[in-house]
Amino acid sequence: MVTTLTSPSTPTWENVFSTASGAVYQCDAENCWYIDFAGKVAGFNYRCLQKLKKAIYHIDIEAKLLDTSKDPDVEIIFICACDHTYILTLLQVIALKELLQGTFVMLELNSILHDKLYRTAC
Amino acid sequence: MKDLIRIKSLLSTEVEELLNQQVKKEAMSSSIYLAMASWCNRNGFDYSSEYFFKQAEEERQHQLKFYKYILDMGGNAISPDVTGIKQEYNSFREVFEDALDQEISVTQSIKKIYARCLSEQDYITNEFLNWFLKEQREEEYKARRALELFEVIGEEGTGHWEIDRHVGKIKYESDAS
Ligand SMILES: [Fe+2]
Ligand SMILES: [Fe+2]
Repeated sequence: MVTTLTSPSTPTWENVFSTASGAVYQCDAENCWYIDFAGKVAGFNYRCLQKLKKAIYHIDIEAKLLDTSKDPDVEIIFICACDHTYILTLLQVIALKELLQGTFVMLELNSILHDKLYRTAC
Repeated sequence: MKDLIRIKSLLSTEVEELLNQQVKKEAMSSSIYLAMASWCNRNGFDYSSEYFFKQAEEERQHQLKFYKYILDMGGNAISPDVTGIKQEYNSFREVFEDALDQEISVTQSIKKIYARCLSEQDYITNEFLNWFLKEQREEEYKARRALELFEVIGEEGTGHWEIDRHVGKIKYESDAS
Protein backbone atom coordinates (compact mmCIF):
# COMPACT_ATOMS: atom_id res chain seq x y z
CA MET A 1 0.00 0.00 0.00
CA VAL A 2 2.76 2.40 0.90
CA THR A 3 5.28 3.32 -1.75
CA THR A 4 8.35 5.07 -0.56
CA LEU A 5 10.26 7.52 -2.69
CA THR A 6 13.81 8.10 -1.69
CA SER A 7 16.53 10.07 -3.27
CA PRO A 8 19.84 11.08 -1.70
CA SER A 9 18.95 14.74 -1.38
CA THR A 10 15.39 14.50 -0.06
CA PRO A 11 14.12 13.02 3.17
CA THR A 12 11.76 10.06 2.95
CA TRP A 13 8.34 10.74 1.54
CA GLU A 14 5.55 8.31 2.09
CA ASN A 15 2.71 8.12 -0.33
CA VAL A 16 -0.52 8.90 1.50
CA PHE A 17 -2.93 8.72 -1.40
CA SER A 18 -2.84 8.86 -5.17
CA THR A 19 -5.31 9.21 -7.98
CA ALA A 20 -4.83 9.34 -11.73
CA SER A 21 -4.43 13.10 -11.48
CA GLY A 22 -2.12 13.49 -8.52
CA ALA A 23 -0.59 12.26 -5.29
CA VAL A 24 0.00 13.34 -1.71
CA TYR A 25 3.12 12.42 0.23
CA GLN A 26 3.94 12.85 3.89
CA CYS A 27 7.40 13.80 5.03
CA ASP A 28 7.93 12.81 8.67
CA ALA A 29 11.28 14.55 8.89
CA GLU A 30 9.81 17.91 7.94
CA ASN A 31 6.38 17.36 9.49
CA CYS A 32 4.62 18.29 6.29
CA TRP A 33 2.91 17.02 3.18
CA TYR A 34 3.78 17.37 -0.48
CA ILE A 35 1.01 17.59 -3.00
CA ASP A 36 1.85 16.60 -6.55
CA PHE A 37 -0.95 18.12 -8.55
CA ALA A 38 -1.56 20.32 -11.60
CA GLY A 39 2.04 20.04 -12.75
CA LYS A 40 3.81 21.02 -9.55
CA VAL A 41 4.84 19.60 -6.22
CA ALA A 42 3.97 21.91 -3.35
CA GLY A 43 4.75 21.56 0.36
CA PHE A 44 2.06 22.16 3.00
CA ASN A 45 2.41 22.25 6.73
CA TYR A 46 -0.49 21.30 9.01
CA ARG A 47 -2.11 24.75 9.02
CA CYS A 48 -1.85 25.21 5.27
CA LEU A 49 -3.19 21.76 4.53
CA GLN A 50 -6.20 22.51 6.73
CA LYS A 51 -6.73 25.80 4.90
CA LEU A 52 -6.46 24.11 1.51
CA LYS A 53 -8.98 21.48 2.59
CA LYS A 54 -11.37 24.15 3.75
CA ALA A 55 -10.95 26.19 0.55
CA ILE A 56 -11.55 23.21 -1.73
CA TYR A 57 -14.39 21.66 0.28
CA HIS A 58 -16.26 24.96 0.36
CA ILE A 59 -16.40 25.36 -3.41
CA ASP A 60 -19.98 24.72 -4.49
CA ILE A 61 -19.20 22.49 -7.48
CA GLU A 62 -22.83 21.85 -8.34
CA ALA A 63 -23.64 25.55 -8.47
CA LYS A 64 -20.61 26.14 -10.69
CA LEU A 65 -21.69 23.38 -13.06
CA LEU A 66 -25.12 24.92 -13.40
CA ASP A 67 -23.72 28.39 -13.82
CA THR A 68 -24.59 29.51 -17.36
CA SER A 69 -22.85 32.87 -17.28
CA LYS A 70 -19.95 33.42 -19.61
CA ASP A 71 -17.32 33.79 -16.88
CA PRO A 72 -14.48 31.35 -17.36
CA ASP A 73 -14.90 28.36 -15.05
CA VAL A 74 -11.59 28.92 -13.33
CA GLU A 75 -11.05 28.84 -9.58
CA ILE A 76 -8.19 30.67 -7.94
CA ILE A 77 -7.23 28.94 -4.74
CA PHE A 78 -5.19 31.37 -2.72
CA ILE A 79 -4.22 30.34 0.75
CA CYS A 80 -3.20 32.99 3.19
CA ALA A 81 0.31 32.62 4.68
CA CYS A 82 1.00 29.75 2.33
CA ASP A 83 3.40 29.94 -0.59
CA HIS A 84 1.22 28.23 -3.13
CA THR A 85 -1.66 29.33 -5.27
CA TYR A 86 -3.66 27.08 -7.54
CA ILE A 87 -5.46 28.24 -10.62
CA LEU A 88 -7.76 25.38 -11.50
CA THR A 89 -10.49 24.53 -13.93
CA LEU A 90 -13.64 23.05 -12.51
CA LEU A 91 -12.55 19.55 -13.51
CA GLN A 92 -9.28 20.06 -11.68
CA VAL A 93 -11.16 21.26 -8.61
CA ILE A 94 -13.15 18.03 -8.65
CA ALA A 95 -9.94 16.02 -9.06
CA LEU A 96 -8.18 17.87 -6.24
CA LYS A 97 -11.16 17.41 -3.98
CA GLU A 98 -11.12 13.69 -4.67
CA LEU A 99 -7.40 13.60 -3.93
CA LEU A 100 -7.83 15.48 -0.65
CA GLN A 101 -10.80 13.40 0.45
CA GLY A 102 -8.79 10.23 -0.08
CA THR A 103 -5.84 11.79 1.70
CA PHE A 104 -7.84 12.68 4.78
CA VAL A 105 -9.39 9.24 4.92
CA MET A 106 -5.91 7.72 4.82
CA LEU A 107 -4.63 10.14 7.47
CA GLU A 108 -7.57 9.22 9.65
CA LEU A 109 -6.83 5.55 9.09
CA ASN A 110 -3.22 6.21 10.06
CA SER A 111 -4.47 7.84 13.24
CA ILE A 112 -6.62 4.81 14.04
CA LEU A 113 -3.65 2.52 13.42
CA HIS A 114 -1.53 4.59 15.80
CA ASP A 115 -4.28 4.37 18.41
CA LYS A 116 -4.66 0.62 18.05
CA LEU A 117 -1.05 -0.37 17.58
CA TYR A 118 0.91 1.98 19.77
CA ARG A 119 -1.19 4.17 22.01
CA THR A 120 -3.46 1.62 23.58
CA ALA A 121 -1.41 -1.49 23.04
CA CYS A 122 -0.40 -3.22 26.23
CA MET B 1 4.27 7.30 9.14
CA LYS B 2 3.76 9.80 11.95
CA ASP B 3 0.24 10.74 13.00
CA LEU B 4 0.91 14.40 12.20
CA ILE B 5 -2.66 15.64 12.48
CA ARG B 6 -3.19 14.23 15.95
CA ILE B 7 0.19 15.57 17.02
CA LYS B 8 -0.89 19.09 16.05
CA SER B 9 -4.40 19.16 17.41
CA LEU B 10 -6.76 17.32 19.69
CA LEU B 11 -9.78 18.54 17.74
CA SER B 12 -11.09 17.04 14.54
CA THR B 13 -11.71 19.50 11.72
CA GLU B 14 -15.45 19.03 12.14
CA VAL B 15 -15.48 19.70 15.88
CA GLU B 16 -13.18 22.66 15.42
CA GLU B 17 -15.57 24.13 12.87
CA LEU B 18 -18.57 23.59 15.15
CA LEU B 19 -16.73 25.23 18.05
CA ASN B 20 -15.90 28.21 15.86
CA GLN B 21 -19.56 28.48 14.89
CA GLN B 22 -20.37 28.50 18.60
CA VAL B 23 -17.85 31.31 19.16
CA LYS B 24 -19.85 33.30 16.64
CA LYS B 25 -23.14 32.35 18.25
CA GLU B 26 -21.99 33.53 21.66
CA ALA B 27 -20.71 36.78 20.13
CA MET B 28 -24.11 37.26 18.48
CA SER B 29 -25.83 36.61 21.82
CA SER B 30 -23.66 39.21 23.47
CA SER B 31 -24.50 41.80 20.81
CA ILE B 32 -28.20 40.96 20.92
CA TYR B 33 -28.28 41.46 24.70
CA LEU B 34 -26.42 44.72 24.31
CA ALA B 35 -29.09 45.94 21.87
CA MET B 36 -31.76 44.84 24.33
CA ALA B 37 -30.02 46.75 27.13
CA SER B 38 -30.08 49.86 24.97
CA TRP B 39 -33.75 49.47 24.05
CA CYS B 40 -34.79 48.93 27.67
CA ASN B 41 -32.75 51.88 28.85
CA ARG B 42 -34.27 54.16 26.20
CA ASN B 43 -37.75 53.09 27.18
CA GLY B 44 -37.32 53.61 30.91
CA PHE B 45 -36.83 49.98 31.97
CA ASP B 46 -33.66 50.50 33.94
CA TYR B 47 -33.60 47.20 35.84
CA SER B 48 -34.11 45.20 32.66
CA SER B 49 -31.43 47.25 30.96
CA GLU B 50 -29.01 46.39 33.76
CA TYR B 51 -30.04 42.73 33.51
CA PHE B 52 -29.26 42.67 29.78
CA PHE B 53 -25.93 44.44 30.27
CA LYS B 54 -24.98 41.64 32.64
CA GLN B 55 -26.16 39.01 30.18
CA ALA B 56 -24.15 40.64 27.39
CA GLU B 57 -21.04 40.45 29.58
CA GLU B 58 -21.67 36.78 30.36
CA GLU B 59 -22.07 35.91 26.69
CA ARG B 60 -18.77 37.60 25.99
CA GLN B 61 -17.18 35.36 28.63
CA HIS B 62 -18.78 32.31 26.98
CA GLN B 63 -17.36 33.40 23.64
CA LEU B 64 -13.86 33.68 25.12
CA LYS B 65 -14.16 30.32 26.83
CA PHE B 66 -14.82 28.58 23.50
CA TYR B 67 -12.17 30.69 21.79
CA LYS B 68 -9.45 29.82 24.26
CA TYR B 69 -10.41 26.16 24.34
CA ILE B 70 -9.96 25.91 20.56
CA LEU B 71 -6.53 27.52 20.83
CA ASP B 72 -5.49 25.46 23.85
CA MET B 73 -6.28 22.26 21.97
CA GLY B 74 -4.18 23.27 18.97
CA GLY B 75 -6.98 24.57 16.78
CA ASN B 76 -7.50 27.80 14.92
CA ALA B 77 -9.87 30.18 16.70
CA ILE B 78 -11.59 32.56 14.30
CA SER B 79 -12.71 36.00 15.41
CA PRO B 80 -16.29 36.23 14.15
CA ASP B 81 -18.12 38.83 12.08
CA VAL B 82 -21.20 39.95 13.93
CA THR B 83 -23.76 41.76 11.80
CA GLY B 84 -27.48 42.25 11.44
CA ILE B 85 -28.29 42.75 15.12
CA LYS B 86 -31.92 43.75 15.70
CA GLN B 87 -31.98 47.16 17.37
CA GLU B 88 -35.69 47.93 17.69
CA TYR B 89 -38.45 46.04 19.47
CA ASN B 90 -42.20 46.47 19.15
CA SER B 91 -42.86 45.90 22.82
CA PHE B 92 -41.30 45.28 26.21
CA ARG B 93 -42.56 41.71 26.07
CA GLU B 94 -41.04 41.07 22.63
CA VAL B 95 -37.59 41.75 24.09
CA PHE B 96 -37.98 38.86 26.51
CA GLU B 97 -39.55 36.59 23.93
CA ASP B 98 -36.52 37.11 21.71
CA ALA B 99 -34.18 36.56 24.66
CA LEU B 100 -35.71 33.14 25.35
CA ASP B 101 -35.58 32.22 21.64
CA GLN B 102 -31.92 33.09 21.58
CA GLU B 103 -31.14 30.93 24.61
CA ILE B 104 -33.07 27.99 23.20
CA SER B 105 -31.13 28.19 19.97
CA VAL B 106 -27.85 28.29 21.91
CA THR B 107 -28.90 25.19 23.88
CA GLN B 108 -29.71 23.41 20.64
CA SER B 109 -26.39 24.21 19.05
CA ILE B 110 -24.44 23.10 22.11
CA LYS B 111 -26.39 19.83 22.04
CA LYS B 112 -25.41 19.43 18.41
CA ILE B 113 -21.71 19.83 19.22
CA TYR B 114 -22.08 17.44 22.14
CA ALA B 115 -23.63 14.78 19.89
CA ARG B 116 -20.87 15.18 17.34
CA CYS B 117 -18.19 14.83 20.01
CA LEU B 118 -19.82 11.69 21.39
CA SER B 119 -19.96 10.16 17.93
CA GLU B 120 -16.23 10.59 17.49
CA GLN B 121 -15.42 9.79 21.13
CA ASP B 122 -14.02 13.25 21.79
CA TYR B 123 -14.75 12.97 25.51
CA ILE B 124 -12.36 15.78 26.27
CA THR B 125 -14.55 18.28 24.44
CA ASN B 126 -17.67 16.69 25.92
CA GLU B 127 -16.26 17.32 29.37
CA PHE B 128 -15.51 20.92 28.39
CA LEU B 129 -19.10 21.31 27.13
CA ASN B 130 -20.58 20.06 30.39
CA TRP B 131 -20.07 23.48 31.90
CA PHE B 132 -22.15 25.01 29.10
CA LEU B 133 -24.94 22.45 29.43
CA LYS B 134 -25.34 23.46 33.05
CA GLU B 135 -25.09 27.12 32.16
CA GLN B 136 -27.91 26.73 29.62
CA ARG B 137 -30.15 25.36 32.32
CA GLU B 138 -29.75 28.62 34.21
CA GLU B 139 -29.98 30.76 31.08
CA GLU B 140 -33.23 29.19 29.92
CA TYR B 141 -34.65 29.29 33.42
CA LYS B 142 -33.99 33.02 33.76
CA ALA B 143 -35.34 33.87 30.31
CA ARG B 144 -38.46 31.77 30.91
CA ARG B 145 -38.98 33.30 34.36
CA ALA B 146 -38.78 36.81 32.91
CA LEU B 147 -41.51 35.98 30.40
CA GLU B 148 -43.58 34.42 33.15
CA LEU B 149 -43.60 37.75 34.96
CA PHE B 150 -45.72 39.15 32.14
CA GLU B 151 -48.33 36.51 32.98
CA VAL B 152 -48.30 36.69 36.76
CA ILE B 153 -48.01 40.45 37.08
CA GLY B 154 -49.97 41.42 33.98
CA GLU B 155 -49.21 44.25 31.62
CA GLU B 156 -52.04 46.60 32.61
CA GLY B 157 -51.63 49.76 34.70
CA THR B 158 -48.27 49.82 36.41
CA GLY B 159 -47.56 46.25 35.25
CA HIS B 160 -44.55 47.08 33.13
CA TRP B 161 -43.01 49.06 35.95
CA GLU B 162 -43.55 46.14 38.31
CA ILE B 163 -42.21 43.59 35.82
CA ASP B 164 -39.09 45.68 35.27
CA ARG B 165 -38.36 45.79 39.00
CA HIS B 166 -38.72 42.03 39.29
CA VAL B 167 -36.52 41.28 36.28
CA GLY B 168 -33.66 42.78 38.27
CA LYS B 169 -34.19 40.16 40.98
CA ILE B 170 -34.33 37.03 38.84
CA LYS B 171 -31.94 34.37 40.13
CA TYR B 172 -31.58 30.65 39.58
CA GLU B 173 -31.31 29.24 43.07
CA SER B 174 -33.10 25.94 42.80
CA ASP B 175 -32.20 22.83 44.81
CA ALA B 176 -31.46 21.28 41.43
CA SER B 177 -28.85 23.88 40.58
FE1 LIG C 1 -23.96 31.76 26.22
FE1 LIG D 1 -26.93 32.86 27.39
